[in-house]
Amino acid sequence: MVAPQTGAATIGAINIRGVKKTFTHQDGSIIEALSNVDLSVAAGEFITLIGPSGCGKSTLLRAIAGLHPVDAGELTLDGEPITGPAAERGLVFQDPLLFPWLNIHDNVAFGLKARHLYREHKAEVGQFLKLVGLETFGKSYPHQLSGGMQQRAALARALVNQPSVLLLDEPLGALDAFTRMNMQDEIIRIWQERKTTMIMVTHDVDEAVYLADRVVVMCPRPARIEEIISVKRERPRARSHPDFLQLRGKLLKILDFGGQEREPEYRI
Amino acid sequence: MPHRLSGLLLFPLLVGVWAFVAEILPPQSRYLFPAPLAVARALWESLGVLWQGTVASMMILIPGYILAVLAAVLFGIPVGATTWARHFFAPLMRVAAPVPPTVYVPYAIALLPTFRASAIFVVFIGAFWPVFLGAVSGAATVPERHRDNARVLGFGRWEYWRRVAFHAALPAIFNGMGVGMAMAFILLTVAELFGANVGLGHFVQYYADFADYPRMVAGIIYTGAVTFSAMTLLAQLQKRMLFWNI
Repeated sequence: MVAPQTGAATIGAINIRGVKKTFTHQDGSIIEALSNVDLSVAAGEFITLIGPSGCGKSTLLRAIAGLHPVDAGELTLDGEPITGPAAERGLVFQDPLLFPWLNIHDNVAFGLKARHLYREHKAEVGQFLKLVGLETFGKSYPHQLSGGMQQRAALARALVNQPSVLLLDEPLGALDAFTRMNMQDEIIRIWQERKTTMIMVTHDVDEAVYLADRVVVMCPRPARIEEIISVKRERPRARSHPDFLQLRGKLLKILDFGGQEREPEYRI
Repeated sequence: MPHRLSGLLLFPLLVGVWAFVAEILPPQSRYLFPAPLAVARALWESLGVLWQGTVASMMILIPGYILAVLAAVLFGIPVGATTWARHFFAPLMRVAAPVPPTVYVPYAIALLPTFRASAIFVVFIGAFWPVFLGAVSGAATVPERHRDNARVLGFGRWEYWRRVAFHAALPAIFNGMGVGMAMAFILLTVAELFGANVGLGHFVQYYADFADYPRMVAGIIYTGAVTFSAMTLLAQLQKRMLFWNI
């Protein structure tokens, strides 16, 4: 097993100050994808980003990944400015995006090989496969695995680089409801073991509340952070706890899906 | 019987039609249209010469084809994966690729010192363009998220070409290699019709000049069998390397 990190996380703090990003459409119209975003993420914190499409949550995540430069403001990881993609900021997409021509083991080993670290870190590939419960599937090819298993492999592939931050772009969006809840618990277990800072984009309110230390609610036009809600609950959490329903209601209200509130009617 | 084997039934059927047509023709036309049995006899008698011809032809085809595939892949992957290079070479590809490479044959024979060198050159040209176009389009159409993913995992340019773009382009490269193989055979036989004194194309040309049509037809059928074997071999290689592409 990969040695669990002990004590509180010391690396993986992200600071976002006054970040702006605009895209220019082909017809010349300008879309404001992020307008003046500030956010501080503590080392080892679990953040979920939620909001309707067009609110800039994926843009913000990709900016942290360094995949596209921002127009203004600054992003830092542990005080160092983010200028481009790097292995210290792992990214997992909604689509597992495994390379179909490589088996699961080689897919996970991919980042290490690219950075010429495979030789010294060979054993870790197996350890991370075990961490995500795929230790017996190393020789299988992606098309032989279910969607959930492929996504576990994608997690292992990002984790093997020992990132200080793991960025998750709706990683469970394509999974069925039960696999999804299972994977949420899996992600929490990995997070508790690795103490990696997690920033996850989701548009599932339950998922956002269940996983996060803090839920960041974003809104479109202009794309901005509307509110940040702390979820001060011990883990493991219960999905049907009354506090949960209350937080869920609060989130839905901010997102304008609150509906008509009534007194509870117990007529079961 | 599986569907893929049912196609083999076509061959005895075609031979039957051929035998029938040869039978009903007037006797004076028979020497122009030899019957299957006469061709089979000619084929049997010529097997030694045809084998020598095969060896000579392969000494041209194999180096020309392999060089073409190597050059096309080594050059095509970076060009396809780089936007400016793709635009830079697009006009050349549009002009040069559709030129039937057979037009180069007489000039290549005049230009290069030996027949073998010129024949290898035209085979190279014929096989290069289809594989090159396959590699370029394959490397250009790698899903953007695969590219992002490679960047996030810490890949440099060269690593990306070698470990991602090449593999992602392989299906397109193999399509190009199939077309390129057919082109290579066409150019090989055309070049041999022009200037060889040995080889499969030369065999056909030689007996056509002597009006020995059973041998000429035997040469054509034999060449067809060689082409078929080469294509089957390529298809096997493709199946083996692209097992993941389903």
